[in-house]
Amino acid sequence: MSELNSTEKIVISSCPHDCGGTCLLKLHVKGGVITKIETDGGEEPQLRACARGRAYRQRVYAPDRLKYPLKRIGERGEGKFTRITWDEALDKVASELERIKENYGNDAIYYIAYSGNTGTFLHSQLAVFRLLTMFGGFTPCWGSASFWGSLFSSETTYGTLTAGHTSDDIPNARFIIMWGWNPAETVQRTNTPYYLSQAREKGIKIVSVDPRFTDSAAAFASQWIPIRPGTDTAMLIAMAYVMITENLHDRKFLETYTVGFEKFKGYVLGTTDGPPKTPDWAEPITGVPAETIATLAREYATKKPSKLLTLGAPGRTAFGEQFHRAAATIAAMAGNIGIYGGDPAGFGLCPVGLQPNTSTGLIARKMPGGLPEGARQRPAIHITKLWDAILRGKEGGYKADAKMAYITNGNPVNQFMNTNKAVRAIKQLETIVVHEQFMTTTARFADILLPVNTQFERNDIVRPWQAGPYCIYMNKAIDSLYESKSDLEICTALAEKLGIKGYSGITEDEWLRSFWEDANDMSDTKPLPDYDTFKKEGVFKIKIGKPAISFTKQIKDLKANPFPTPSGKIEIYSKKLEEKNDSKLPPIPMYIEPWEGRSDSLIEKYPLQLITTHTKRRTHANMANITWLRTLEPQTIWINPVDAATRDIHHGKTVRVFNDRGIIVLTAKITERIMPGVVSIDQGAWYNPDKNGIDRGGCANVLLKDEHSPAGAFCSNNCLVQIEREFKV
Amino acid sequence: MQIGFYFNQSRCTGCYTCTIACKDWHDIKDGSVHWRRVTPLEKGTYPDVSLSYISLSCNHCERPLCSEACPAGAITKREKDGVMVVDQAQCLGKDMCEMFCRQACPYEVPQFGTEENPKMQMCTLCLDRFLESKKPICVDACPMRALDAGPLDDLKRKYGDLKDVEGFVCSAATNPSIIFKKRY
Repeated sequence: MSELNSTEKIVISSCPHDCGGTCLLKLHVKGGVITKIETDGGEEPQLRACARGRAYRQRVYAPDRLKYPLKRIGERGEGKFTRITWDEALDKVASELERIKENYGNDAIYYIAYSGNTGTFLHSQLAVFRLLTMFGGFTPCWGSASFWGSLFSSETTYGTLTAGHTSDDIPNARFIIMWGWNPAETVQRTNTPYYLSQAREKGIKIVSVDPRFTDSAAAFASQWIPIRPGTDTAMLIAMAYVMITENLHDRKFLETYTVGFEKFKGYVLGTTDGPPKTPDWAEPITGVPAETIATLAREYATKKPSKLLTLGAPGRTAFGEQFHRAAATIAAMAGNIGIYGGDPAGFGLCPVGLQPNTSTGLIARKMPGGLPEGARQRPAIHITKLWDAILRGKEGGYKADAKMAYITNGNPVNQFMNTNKAVRAIKQLETIVVHEQFMTTTARFADILLPVNTQFERNDIVRPWQAGPYCIYMNKAIDSLYESKSDLEICTALAEKLGIKGYSGITEDEWLRSFWEDANDMSDTKPLPDYDTFKKEGVFKIKIGKPAISFTKQIKDLKANPFPTPSGKIEIYSKKLEEKNDSKLPPIPMYIEPWEGRSDSLIEKYPLQLITTHTKRRTHANMANITWLRTLEPQTIWINPVDAATRDIHHGKTVRVFNDRGIIVLTAKITERIMPGVVSIDQGAWYNPDKNGIDRGGCANVLLKDEHSPAGAFCSNNCLVQIEREFKV
Repeated sequence: MQIGFYFNQSRCTGCYTCTIACKDWHDIKDGSVHWRRVTPLEKGTYPDVSLSYISLSCNHCERPLCSEACPAGAITKREKDGVMVVDQAQCLGKDMCEMFCRQACPYEVPQFGTEENPKMQMCTLCLDRFLESKKPICVDACPMRALDAGPLDDLKRKYGDLKDVEGFVCSAATNPSIIFKKRY
């Protein structure tokens, strides 16, 4: 924190949402008010923030910030509330928790939390997690709306999630494939777009494989290969066919470092399973010309080192884990693992800085005597099955009947699939408590709604989203606005009312100091500054000199450094999966026809494939209400002119998008940037149903089927819909 | 001396960071007013498509037609650095004038908010920041380092003298103080 003059100071902070970046914000504070925001102007690599971070002042001072604790007075979802005192609100929450526990047991309390804060040490869902654990437990959720296919694949194939390279390695590649990957909007590690631009300027060929011609394709790629949603695995497997039959695969690498390639080869060549998976086989499935597939395979295999860069989108499909398993297999076949300029196509955590999967800095794990594992391992409900579990409970085969929902750090009614079902489900509960900053889709259903402060109103530490060579101390810049409190303050007060001893007992600053002093996993790269220095400077950058890349030790000496898998090698064939004996989760990567894809008979009724995408104007549902960002572009559905013409749909006009799960109304964007037969909607716009239950907010999740892949991926990119013109009545 | 802008069209991803950083720095609450605008330029037919973005503010032209058109003399050009300055106290406002400045500008730069009889507003080249030897906020904000600003002669030495780019035609009448790098 530095003083500019007697009246203005600069405070370092960040915006710790779930966008993919963790960037630096410099807040100008005058008279207790944030007046301006700048970003990193210091040493390179600068951590420059995007439009979302720069718009943050409008979020903190938004007129629709929740100011006081509220009690519902209207119907659930109606949004009618009355102001109550904190004491009244917390008494009610405490007594409801006790009542539900006594009448139904702890399992009847569903704790639903998501990624509102990501990478923060202290202020996150974990404050409530700790409270409810100490209260005797709860039913948690599992799964992720983002990356579960990738997580599962990385664990299975490499035995770790730390399977990535820092983005400064991008210009070291000779050839790059961005597969369903749009970092121009999702950021995917601060500065990734900047490094892609540098690669392009160096003359490195970058190819985008995507149903849409994204901003990333436009800015970085010299070739766009449109592909039908849900069929990416078929194309990767056909690329493997080309690599094998043209002898372009790295046999020595495969022999040394992998297990099960021969079994995969048998499947690919069709000697053990089905037809040969030739580019001609893949063409009618993917919509990609066979020759394009073959050429891409040759380029990827021969222009080494090459990067196959993926994040979540193609994995957010019916058998999404197969995409990531196939991508990792192709990376191994090309020998692109553990080398600069390559990439393992794994989960993508960078092997530098604080890792999210360590125990450091997680308040919930700082329980006296450690976190009781039993409390964590209560029957968890997959996030896509949450509404079904609430509606059907034990009778539907779920382990607990839900009676109360405790919701923080997320907007699940809006962001988990099948919104209309979510509304039916959540209305059935006896009690709903929500911590929020705004009257979101979910907050409207609360019985007790507690106002939470923003990160500028408290101290915290944040690490980069996918790990990386820095940490930011988010210094408190202003006092909590109105009557808002942090989750930690709320839970500390609740713990007292519930008679829970030892919930916190120390200050925010003492928590953070203890976390920082435990942050050993950064110290092998550079000694950590002491807590007070870090807090004062606001940012700690590790000078890594060269990119941090995964698996160099394994590639150098496998015997001394085996992969953390059961076999000690990269598992193209997984014995663990073989033991599952599940044809939908095979031991080798395979293409499995998705439901609600082009081969589903439902396509006769709903002929368009919907994908739900990420936008630069929001981070999921965060910032959807911020004027500066909202007004940049309208919420639209992308439609190819061919599909628009047959439906007499015109650019800028409103359309109805529907299937059996619901109807949404939004503006048509007629564009050549999407392939015919496919339409896309940016997820995250807030659900706004009219009196007939038709969503006028453009919430894509209304249309999605509440189903997950066999491994647990959120299937937000296989969904069939129809569109028609909206005629004004 | 003339201060101007540089824009590298290869670098721009259309992320709008410049637009928002500008609105924050100058505290422009109105959603409809953008001193710096990012425009997508989509071309071609599926699957042969191209997309460029262009990010423009006031170009602080050598011969500002907006200034000539203003009946109130509210728009002036600073002698020492060529920066265009709007005196809102002099401006008649949108309802009292026919937005002659906006009509005269080949780039429709002058903007008016949604309040009652809004006064004209546009890019100031962050004169407040220049006094502290800082670049305009849009330049310092750009995550892609696609923008620069400074004395036009220095920019030309550094980046060349390209006056036209996709989505921008150099006006012979005004001679805008901006140079470009074209897309790959």
